[in-house]
Amino acid sequence: MKAASFDYVRAGSIGEICELLAEHGPMSKLIAGGQSLVPMMAMRLTKPSLLIDINEVKELKGISAQSDNLIIAGGTRQHQIEASSEVKRFCPMVQKALFWVGHPQTRNRGTLGGSLVHADPAAELPLVSVLLDAEILLQDADGEESVAASEFFLAPLVTALRPDQCLVRVSFPIWSGAVGGSFHEVSPRRGDFAIVSAAAQIALDEAGNCSRVAVGLGGVAATPIRVFAVEEAILGGGLAKTQLHELARLAADEIDPEGDLHASAEYRREVAYVLIERALTDAVQEARARMGASS
Amino acid sequence: MTENKFKYIGRERRTKEDKRFVIGAGNYVADIARPGCLHLAVVRSPHPCARIAAIRTEKALALPGVHYVLTGAELEEYTKPLQQYLDTPNVRWYSLAVERTRYAGEWVAAVVADSRYIAEDAVELIEVDYEPLPFIIDPEAALLPEAVAVHPKHGSNVIYRRTFSWGPVAEDFSKADHTLAFRTRWHRSATVPLETFGVISEWGPGQDILEVWASIQMPQYVEQIAAALKMPQNNIRVHYDVDVGGSYGVKRGIKHTVMVCYLAKKLGRPVRFIEDRLDNMSGGDMHGPDRSFDMKVAFDKSGRINSLKIRVLDDVGAYPGRSPLQLGKPIGAIVGAYRIGSVEYEAISVTTNKTGQVAVRGFGQSPTNVALETAIDRVAAYLDLDRLEVRRRNFIRPEDFPYLIPSGTTYDSGNYPAVLDKALNLADYERMLVRRDELRASGVAAGIGIATCLEPSGGNSAFEGLLNPSNESTTFLEAVMVKVDRNGTVTVIINTTTSGQGHETLVSLIVGEELEREPDQIRVVHSDSLNGLWTHSPVGSRMAIMMGGAAAGAAKKLKRDLLRIAAHNLGVAEDELAYDSGTISVAKDSTRKLSWEQLVIIAHRQYQKMPAGMEPALQSTFVLEVPSGGNLPTPDGRIQMYPCHSFQAHVALVSIDMGTGKPTILDYSIAHDCGTVINPHIVRGMIYGGAAHGIGAAFYERFAYDEGGQLLSQTFMDYLLPSVHEVPEIRQTEHCTPSPLTSHGQKGVGEGGYLGAPAAMASAVNDALAPHGKTLDTLPMRIRDIWECLNLA
Repeated sequence: MKAASFDYVRAGSIGEICELLAEHGPMSKLIAGGQSLVPMMAMRLTKPSLLIDINEVKELKGISAQSDNLIIAGGTRQHQIEASSEVKRFCPMVQKALFWVGHPQTRNRGTLGGSLVHADPAAELPLVSVLLDAEILLQDADGEESVAASEFFLAPLVTALRPDQCLVRVSFPIWSGAVGGSFHEVSPRRGDFAIVSAAAQIALDEAGNCSRVAVGLGGVAATPIRVFAVEEAILGGGLAKTQLHELARLAADEIDPEGDLHASAEYRREVAYVLIERALTDAVQEARARMGASS
Repeated sequence: MTENKFKYIGRERRTKEDKRFVIGAGNYVADIARPGCLHLAVVRSPHPCARIAAIRTEKALALPGVHYVLTGAELEEYTKPLQQYLDTPNVRWYSLAVERTRYAGEWVAAVVADSRYIAEDAVELIEVDYEPLPFIIDPEAALLPEAVAVHPKHGSNVIYRRTFSWGPVAEDFSKADHTLAFRTRWHRSATVPLETFGVISEWGPGQDILEVWASIQMPQYVEQIAAALKMPQNNIRVHYDVDVGGSYGVKRGIKHTVMVCYLAKKLGRPVRFIEDRLDNMSGGDMHGPDRSFDMKVAFDKSGRINSLKIRVLDDVGAYPGRSPLQLGKPIGAIVGAYRIGSVEYEAISVTTNKTGQVAVRGFGQSPTNVALETAIDRVAAYLDLDRLEVRRRNFIRPEDFPYLIPSGTTYDSGNYPAVLDKALNLADYERMLVRRDELRASGVAAGIGIATCLEPSGGNSAFEGLLNPSNESTTFLEAVMVKVDRNGTVTVIINTTTSGQGHETLVSLIVGEELEREPDQIRVVHSDSLNGLWTHSPVGSRMAIMMGGAAAGAAKKLKRDLLRIAAHNLGVAEDELAYDSGTISVAKDSTRKLSWEQLVIIAHRQYQKMPAGMEPALQSTFVLEVPSGGNLPTPDGRIQMYPCHSFQAHVALVSIDMGTGKPTILDYSIAHDCGTVINPHIVRGMIYGGAAHGIGAAFYERFAYDEGGQLLSQTFMDYLLPSVHEVPEIRQTEHCTPSPLTSHGQKGVGEGGYLGAPAAMASAVNDALAPHGKTLDTLPMRIRDIWECLNLA
């Protein structure tokens, strides 16, 4: 488990990163936290000839709230996001997802951008970015490009990121109203990739009706997915407990997961049903509590 | 708690080894730097079975920094096959595959290069032409006459098969009020030391000595290297002062070592092979027992169990080595803690195209204990009796000891009801029952696990002769030397590596106790295989008994020498002397005395004051044979297996999320009796670590193969070890029934946690499933398995 030979360069700016990527193309790889890349290199599953270290690039770090969006730079460590009061205030769903990501040691090194570009179909941060309709800003030597999270993830470990592009930042829309969210997952052990994860976020208007909703699943398809049929049904007025139960069933019946060592396809489908129901129930409950607190 | 009559033994004292590990000053094999050392990497077979048509090495050899490529063909020419412990001459095992591969991951060639990086580059350049052959993965199918044979010249896949019958089994079954039958499955798992196996070898041409540093825990290591390399044993020096970063049985490494030694001698350069995790998990010595048990139980209406019929099938993988003997050791505790009068035991060992099995903590006892404890729970369920009551009715009673079990072993001592009661008290069992029922009422599944376990200890080799009648060795000794230097300080020499057992603490406490000298000031060193005495290594929970006993014996001899010198100089008989912390005085006149320092001066410098004919200086050796050892098996297969028998009782509360199948251990208590506790920290650490290990086997760890013979769990992504999140706090309490057979009443403790925990977890999960009308008898009980059990018909 020794990596194949590679060159290493430390970049100082996004401009420099883009120049290096333009010059070296697909044989180069960016490294930030290295939590997925380094094991893959050690097992020689990937053999980049050049590693571009982006850890010193200041433009790639930071969290800020701008009008309707929470902006998190791609190189921001997961633990900083976890501890951020702005994230807690404007987009707590991201922290709810991070609760399930790895361990403190891996979150101290791992970055938001690193998790998104790795695109494990069971990973939590890709799911939360799809759930919240995040916009992912990519940059190459010729300029910037914004890609919706729903169009970013293409297949397991495959994204819309071109080899000459760098993920610069992610914009998470800030929801208004009484917002509740919940993230449930099951894995054999704490910190493992999820067998199934389910996330739901809901906003209630002053009358207590649903004004906005997002429901997503991880681990059940090639990429994280949204369950639009359920969202539409909820927007149509289905918030009662019995309805949530039926909607969860509807969601589970729509998916077509695969089996592996840790779970059968049937397990994934049925547990997706269980977790969606829990996520919806908790999200509604939290939104109602918020509504009560603000009135 | 009984009063501790010892000065140092059993006291809350720090262990001797902690300091160097805590400050990062351990001396592991990877820390050993030899000038000019070369590095080895292996080519692994992608096929479970294939003929090796050709191996092309030119491109690899052309890579700068590559020194050599070794293949199985060369090893076959120059070395002997590695040892098989059964009489199976046509099972031929070498460090590298010869002619054909027999499991996916088997090592086919080895590259030696300036660095491990270059060696791995070269591995990618080696071209092997494989011609895939039919293979067999399922152990039951491997038994069938038409099955593909893993070793065609052996004729079948059956490596061992014998039905033992001890006592009137047929009669007991025919007279029984009731019988029941069930099957348990223990899937392939292991112990996972943090440190993989590693070995460095160097040939010293001037001295003609082959030096070996290895992360080793293996009896007969040196003689097997010598045999394989066709070399006199005294040309090999194994250094026992290498710290071993965990083993629990698996650090055998003989195939690694023979290959590395051969290369070191051939190339005239030090060669080192430190397995990486992939080498270790797929092709190294890592896979433990892989068994199914078909159990039949005969019992009366009161719950008294009269007889057992056990059929066990163990899949030993492609190369059996020592592993079939893991069916032998459980014979020494085949009735567990219970008065069961007769047992039939059909033991079958079968080869398949999987990684070869090696020894794992308990040497086959833990899977067997799951089957036994499940039997108790099943009898209780059948009769609608309390599981505790059935255990109590069947327990060997305190007054029954020494107790002879049907298979020929006499248990030395114990008090099982008292230990079980201590565990129940610690768990607050009545409250736990209430809590379980509250959990059930709240909509989760919840169960209480109850398990006991016997821990045979004092590691003997009695199963070697039992399973292989051509092997008449009955000696499994351990030696220790104690010496006092000219300045009066004490040094103890032990003759094996240590893989976390705390041998330095053990012998310093025992020698300190015997000589009444401060253990912290006693130096303990590890010899090498040339300058030291003899060992059979720390296997079978033996070192407290064997190394401790040998240390006590050597210290006692040395003390007798001191008394003899004092008697001569004080002009009285030895039995008129009193010994106090090294000072010897006349018992009736304490003003007439010789201090430790004075005695040392006489022994080392003043020969004129020595008793006539006595050797000068102060040193002693003691070689201890296993207490109760030295016997061959009877023709019907009875033998005294191990001398001492520790006991534990585990009580745990587990909840299960009905929606996901995920278990959570909410509460866990263990009461244990390992006789006299020598160091409480080591005992508690062994029990906690053993239980954590058992939780892994119960819920998480599995070397799974697919239908194509590929190992699916080769990394920690898929081979799941329990972490601090999964292993709960475990409360412990002790009980002491001293062994009459050992120097200070001690028994073994290295395995019991692992023997009890899987049975306790299986019991808890089945208690949780019982209200739903389900049972689950397959370990590990992964979340998918629990969920499928609950939700599918």
